Amino acid sequence: MAEPAIVAESLTYRYGNLLAVDHISFTVERGEILGFLGPNGAGKSTTVKILTGQLRPLSGRAILLGIDVARCPKQVHSRIGVCFEQPNLYEELSGVDNLHLFARLFNIRDVDIAGLLHRVGLDGRGNDLVGHYSKGMKQRLMIARALVNRPDILFLDEPTEGLDPTSAEAIRRIIREEQERGATVFLTTHDMYEADRLCNRVAFINSGRIVALDTPHNLKQQYGKRMVRAEVVGPDGSLLTREIVLDQPETAHEIANLLQHERVVTLHSEEATLEDIFIQLTGRALV
Amino acid sequence: MHITAIWALMVKDARLYAANRLFALVTVLGLVAYIVIYFLLPATVDEMLHLGLVIPDTPSALSEMIDNDAVQVTRFTDVEALRKAVASGEVEVGFAFPADLYDQLRQGTQPTVELLLAPEVPPDFVSVYAAAARELSFTLIGQELPVVIKEEILGVDMTGASIAPRQRILPLFAVLVLMVECLGLASLIVAEIEQRTIRALLVTPLTVRDVFVAKTLFGSLFAFGQAILLLAITGGLVKAPLLNLTALSIGSVLMTGIAFLIATLGRDLMSVMGWGMLALLIMALPTFTVLIPGLAADWVRIIPTYYLVDTLHRSLNFSADWNDVSGNLLLLTAFALLSLALGMATLQRRWKLFLNN
Repeated sequence: MAEPAIVAESLTYRYGNLLAVDHISFTVERGEILGFLGPNGAGKSTTVKILTGQLRPLSGRAILLGIDVARCPKQVHSRIGVCFEQPNLYEELSGVDNLHLFARLFNIRDVDIAGLLHRVGLDGRGNDLVGHYSKGMKQRLMIARALVNRPDILFLDEPTEGLDPTSAEAIRRIIREEQERGATVFLTTHDMYEADRLCNRVAFINSGRIVALDTPHNLKQQYGKRMVRAEVVGPDGSLLTREIVLDQPETAHEIANLLQHERVVTLHSEEATLEDIFIQLTGRALV
Repeated sequence: MHITAIWALMVKDARLYAANRLFALVTVLGLVAYIVIYFLLPATVDEMLHLGLVIPDTPSALSEMIDNDAVQVTRFTDVEALRKAVASGEVEVGFAFPADLYDQLRQGTQPTVELLLAPEVPPDFVSVYAAAARELSFTLIGQELPVVIKEEILGVDMTGASIAPRQRILPLFAVLVLMVECLGLASLIVAEIEQRTIRALLVTPLTVRDVFVAKTLFGSLFAFGQAILLLAITGGLVKAPLLNLTALSIGSVLMTGIAFLIATLGRDLMSVMGWGMLALLIMALPTFTVLIPGLAADWVRIIPTYYLVDTLHRSLNFSADWNDVSGNLLLLTAFALLSLALGMATLQRRWKLFLNN
């Protein structure tokens, strides 16, 4: 069995008096998409910076592809791609020039720039200055830049933050494609829908600690409450909401009662969202 | 060391520099301006002393002076005409002896000799002209001092070979060219932090050392190239080309180190320009020792560019060779390495602070 792509052992980092990452440990298997879900300031980006060698942890180890990042960062850097939370492109250069530069930095001579631009939906805009790109276009170019070296591990820090639905969906498609190629994806987000749809496993992080880590399905099974939500017409004609928790002894009776005695307008079964579970576990919302 | 990556960074910086209209324009126009000014300045020095006289007669000593190649004497009929000539710049100094000079002397009164000076005559020279007026007075009344004056030039006789204004200004232009590129490099480095691109660079196989090598090579070669162009066009590479190129290359490294220091202090383009102007003023000070000899005090030797300016000046204008300027080159090299080391250390620290936040 192949060793995990990422092994984090008791990582700790502090900004002054603030403990940003508090002894977190986890592994990510090869070819897996792991999502780090948490609100702003939870420690997601700091964890990414430690894993990618930008920060040296105060304690603990980060091992990527069997290589200790702190000891041999450059060996790791040749095999990972990083898409940052904030744009950091050369705005006075074109999209093509930005990609060419980073290809040269990775010593890649035969990179298919046109193919990369096509993948991220920037056909025909490659020769425009990056300074003239919209936010979504810059984000897509950063994804393209992260893919220049066909990385074994792709780190995406809030890749769809602030993007329009079309751009966001394009990025999600690319993430799935990369997984199909065999890459491991480490994704940070505070968008529960994105985490739910994309990730094989999700880690909830709050105040620098992982409070839960499992598949979205298991998290919902373990922590979520299934229920039926009905909208009924009230005595004064207004719409009222009724919730009936499933899997309880009295569930069937309550549903029958509802249908018999209330004027039901809509009836839906629901399961807990990841945000519901996050709030339940941490007492905080994701945003 | 990743040669390909370093070269890619250098090409990138060259393109970004060219894309920055301010620096691109200043670089090109500056170079053109220096060359134009150089050729507009006089290529020779007028060593002739233009002297005006109002004098009752012409004694033999004055005849010798009139025959001297270094002095052009013009006689005027009256003091007013002489005043006008001095005021208009036709003559630099005028001696006006009273028409009744001999009558006054016979009567035992003290005649007044008017010494008329143009405004641009240096203060040091006033007493010299006053002494000359006294000497001429003695000659006129037939009481020359019974001494023989023997002249001896210690060092290179610059008679007929005085340093032309355009030659004096060349070291200043060389320093300016290097400093402008220094500001350009500093602004490129600051932009890497402003745009956060340094973070993107350092999650590739590129190391911090690679980045510094690329910046040092780009900054030094770009500045050096322009300085060579300036000297080549102005004829500065005809004399001792290897010596001058060596001095300029070391000067380029010095300026690269200063660029790193400015980039450490600067937060954006405005602050880079501010710190850069201060550095420029300090670095340009030694050039005034060449432009106006005797103006600057010895303390100017603590400024690193003094050793570049002095080397170029002596090489270009006094035919100095390697032995003559070896001390300068050694000190310049030491300053260059020190500024580079200090600049790298402080800039790396600044990058670390940025990356850790």
